[in-house]
Amino acid sequence: MQDVLTSVKWFEPELILTGVLLLVVLVDSTLAAWRNVAARVLTVGGLLLALVRVVELRGVSGEIFSGMAVVDPLASFFKALLIGASLLVILAFTFRNSRELHGLGQGEFYALMLAVTISNVLMATANDLAMLYLALEMVSITSYVMVAYMKGDRMSNEASLKYILFGAVSTGTMLYGLSLLYGLTGNTSLPAIRDFLAAGLTDANRLAVYAIALLVFAGFGFKTAAVPFHFWCPDVYQGAPTPVTAFLSVAPKAAGFAIMMRFFYQGLATPRAGPWDLVGTIDWARVLILVSVLTMTVGNVAALTQTNMKRLLAYSSIAHAGYIMMGVVALSQNGARALMIYLLAYLVMNLGAFLVVTLVHLHEGTFDLRDYPGLYRRSPFLTLAMAVFLLSLMGIPPLVGFMGKLYVFAAIVERGPSYFWYAAVGAVNAAIAAYYYARILKTMIIDTPPAEKPPLRLAFADATWVSLLLAANVLPLLWWARIEASLSLYAGR
Amino acid sequence: MSAEAAVFYLFAAVTVASGAVVVLARSLIYSAFALLFTFFGVAGLYVLLGADFLAATQLLIYVGGILVLLLFGVMLTHKLYDLDLRSEVTQFLPGIIVATGLILILASPVRWPLDLRGLMFRTQWAVGAGRPPAATTAEIGQLFMGRYLLPFEAASILLLVALMGAAMIVRRRKDA
Amino acid sequence: MIALQHYLAVSAVLFSLGMLGILTRRNAVNVLMGVELVLNSANLNLVAFSRFGPGNLQGQLFAVFVIVIAAAEVAVALAIVLTLYRLRRTPNLDEADILRG
Repeated sequence: MQDVLTSVKWFEPELILTGVLLLVVLVDSTLAAWRNVAARVLTVGGLLLALVRVVELRGVSGEIFSGMAVVDPLASFFKALLIGASLLVILAFTFRNSRELHGLGQGEFYALMLAVTISNVLMATANDLAMLYLALEMVSITSYVMVAYMKGDRMSNEASLKYILFGAVSTGTMLYGLSLLYGLTGNTSLPAIRDFLAAGLTDANRLAVYAIALLVFAGFGFKTAAVPFHFWCPDVYQGAPTPVTAFLSVAPKAAGFAIMMRFFYQGLATPRAGPWDLVGTIDWARVLILVSVLTMTVGNVAALTQTNMKRLLAYSSIAHAGYIMMGVVALSQNGARALMIYLLAYLVMNLGAFLVVTLVHLHEGTFDLRDYPGLYRRSPFLTLAMAVFLLSLMGIPPLVGFMGKLYVFAAIVERGPSYFWYAAVGAVNAAIAAYYYARILKTMIIDTPPAEKPPLRLAFADATWVSLLLAANVLPLLWWARIEASLSLYAGR
Repeated sequence: MSAEAAVFYLFAAVTVASGAVVVLARSLIYSAFALLFTFFGVAGLYVLLGADFLAATQLLIYVGGILVLLLFGVMLTHKLYDLDLRSEVTQFLPGIIVATGLILILASPVRWPLDLRGLMFRTQWAVGAGRPPAATTAEIGQLFMGRYLLPFEAASILLLVALMGAAMIVRRRKDA
Repeated sequence: MIALQHYLAVSAVLFSLGMLGILTRRNAVNVLMGVELVLNSANLNLVAFSRFGPGNLQGQLFAVFVIVIAAAEVAVALAIVLTLYRLRRTPNLDEADILRG
């Protein structure tokens, strides 16, 4: 009983979100005229409150609910990141500035956002195979519904069907791997699994561990959109309403990396200062390097020929998953910190780019890059903002995207000469990526439009959120030493 | 052959044979009904394994819920007078190769002349004292309220979302 | 005497059959049936390991959650299949093709 009470105290952010979720569902069912405003206010307030509680609880560390979940610095960071991502998406993308969501029911959208946030957080803190699988499926199932939010729209529904079938197969495969892992170790708790593997393995069992790793990676790969589990990504990103696309490209991906880190952090490695030892002499890193290299290359090469902005950003987000995975592969405290920095940077730059795409769609009704020429003359501010977001995605100093790349590459190079080629492949990929980001810039600024169109006027709220995201891409450099120090704490240094 | 073995082989045969029909039948209706037998076969194996609660859950949710949903799916996506509800097959040969490969990797029984046993036979699983068949329901109930409290409550959020989402998706738009 | 490996073999065959269905079927409902076979095979593993393993019930509880998740997933999937069918009158996957790039 005492355990449950302590757990509840440490579980407050999630409880707040759950309470608000139920309230939103209730408010939405009143059918009163004020229900949309009330649902929005409740959601934003609930997310803010949860974020505050997460920050207040950042010092605590331990297992909760009989070891089902865990509260530690890594979990606290991801909780804050995931709740923050939901908050940003809800504030910056509204039913007014998204042409696709316009006129659709709002209460359900906020309820789904809250539900997916709770699931994301549960995923980032899961400490038991049953909890891990449940949280992963909760994120997936809620995402399927969000993708299909445009009810009468064929594209939205097709995207959702592809997502759901691909997701069901990947997570089913993962479940088969998890069941074998339980059979091998006799336990579903991650720390117990680590203890078992650390005790040493026979040759026959090592083979089983490799097979299990392969099966389980199907689920992680699906969540982070890593090659070869990325096929759903372009279609889903293109078909889903843009605010949902923006959300899917940051939050569930971050949660996927959180659970991947947790699997290494608590399932397969002994964290300590410097490079971590892998337990049971299983060389996971080699497999992950291959996946990471393939992911960034496939994403970047496929992005070269895209003309639909949502598809282009989808491939770019696949490529970024490859870079982020470098932080996992480094398997050290510095790697963990680099992963956190990259995810934070990716959050503000990717959401920024998607916000500009949404605003152009609101005014022009198009996602096609071929309709972007002349944007520079029609809205210098929007063009400037997009330029900063794209340069940040490219990794140009002194923007946050550069800092993300700098830290992951540093964490890799630190591992020694045998990792240099991997860093080199990453660098070549960054160069390829620069080409298609630059192509967008050229289209917006240099290309001449077929016909002169009137200036594009932004609503005040939209301009504010674009400016805030712009600032988030530039200003962190001013307080970098402080940010680095506090993130080091979260990485457990 | 002991009685236990006889019952095991009966249920195993039902499961595998009907599973094959699910996958290979040309008609969706045949597949759906074969799936009924697969679920029954697996429930029988659960009983043999001493998982009485799970066997009942399997019958209630899989047969009573999921299978009925799938049948609705079959019926509603075809015209009623459309008698042969055919489901087309693509890439049959690659599929067969992959499936055969999987069976061999996982459960190849070959030991002689070369040790080519599949993963399932080769690995030393965590075999322990085991759990003699006994009623599990009470214990499972206690675990739901104890060790598994968090997933138990989280699952209720999942069900709420699924219910809300499915209703939202199927409801027609007012302006449509 | 029926040992753990007997159950594992049944589960391996069921898993492979499920994968075969997923790879070769064009109808969305049929693919979902393949997924159900995969989930059932994993559950069979979990219960068998629970019976022959160290004797804890963790595998059985995991399996209960899997069944709940499967039900939720199928409900959402069928809602989408039905909506899509209403929009374009086919349950086949490769005719879902406006998304190309």
